[in-house]
Amino acid sequence: MGQLRLVKTLQVDPPIWEKVQHAVAEALGLDDDEVELDARLIDDLGAESLDFLDLVFRLERAFSIKIPRGGIESQARGSLNEDIVYEIDGVLTAAGLTKLAEAMPEVPASEFCEGLKTSEIPTLFRVATFYRIVAMLLEEKAA
Amino acid sequence: MRISGVPLLDSALVTGRVSARQTPGRICRVGIRDRVEGEVISVPRLPEHLLTDQEGALQGMVDAVELAGPVAAVGLGSLLAVVAGRGTSLAEEVSVPVTTGAAATAWAAVRNTLDLLGERDQPVTVLGFRSMVGQAVAGALAEEGVTVIAGGTGAALKRKAATLGIALHPEEQAAGEADLVLGCATTGNTLEAKHLRAQATVLDVALPSTLKSGPRPPGVRVFAAEAVELPEGWTRGFWGRLYHVFSGYGYSGVFACLLEPMVMALNDRVEPYALGRRVDLSAFTADADELELRPRLTARR
Repeated sequence: MGQLRLVKTLQVDPPIWEKVQHAVAEALGLDDDEVELDARLIDDLGAESLDFLDLVFRLERAFSIKIPRGGIESQARGSLNEDIVYEIDGVLTAAGLTKLAEAMPEVPASEFCEGLKTSEIPTLFRVATFYRIVAMLLEEKAA
Repeated sequence: MRISGVPLLDSALVTGRVSARQTPGRICRVGIRDRVEGEVISVPRLPEHLLTDQEGALQGMVDAVELAGPVAAVGLGSLLAVVAGRGTSLAEEVSVPVTTGAAATAWAAVRNTLDLLGERDQPVTVLGFRSMVGQAVAGALAEEGVTVIAGGTGAALKRKAATLGIALHPEEQAAGEADLVLGCATTGNTLEAKHLRAQATVLDVALPSTLKSGPRPPGVRVFAAEAVELPEGWTRGFWGRLYHVFSGYGYSGVFACLLEPMVMALNDRVEPYALGRRVDLSAFTADADELELRPRLTARR
């Protein structure tokens, strides 16, 4: 049960996890058991930008869902306060870091550090990030 | 009448709207006389549509294969080699072998590099090591005894580089560590030219080009490295000539990826040279060499 554990606040549903794990493995040309829930897609699993496109396609097919483009960004922006500055010249402000951390609870707080650029946000993505998006969309679909 | 896959009479596409027709269209026939003939078929969707509606892109590809009729192999060009699972989903939907062209692209990059190096023993930097083409190219060059410096960071790339016995440095650093630099990323505009050495030569298979626009160190030369000399007996007809020009091949060359399904057909091969993230560079190299295909460098796009 090593992989089926709580990642911060994430409770994992095994059937959903298996399909997410397989989709990630297929997109990255890996074996399923090489894909761990808390693995960073870019750093630990070697993902490149086009792998995210492939992953989204595979997840959409596997779960019959539609993942909005920029899913995480749109999720974070959904609750943005127009009066607060979240980024300056592509660098997240303290408020931006806080908002991003709220949108990505699976990422350790230490990674939302001062100076983080918006272009670097994908480097934070875990497998758990996509698991959470899928779970959320499935929940919305079921509602 | 169609050029470069955009139906001239399809006003919707030309003006950037989704075409109501969206049926695939025949562009031209190309081939090698008395040996193999192929057809270039367009899937008339704009890049934005292909990226945001990958299921629609897949259906377009399935329709295009149906339009082609009985064929020995299907190749994918440009964005179609990237969306909808990089050929894997199309391969599941149709009964003909599908190959993405990545093996041929990698082959051209390797061959052009080795030709340029000649007998010189100098290091080569491979940028885009994260991509399947970059890894295939780096591995093949290392096997040929070339000292390869891969550009990239991260634990996964470190493991891969170690497997291949090559160095891994951050891209900007790696770019300045060799006079010969290969751009192999799947997306371009990844490197500012200022990180290159003066007089450096860049062999580029990235689309768009690896280098961001901006000033370059003196003497830097950039070549497109995925072109191939027209094979002996190449046939293309009138529309094929126009296709060559408008597709960016130039009049006397062809992109390696276009040849990949032809090489499959000529070898009665069922197993794709490239599908998903898998690239069988050695198999394509053997078959391409047997056919005496010759890659060439062309002026920067």
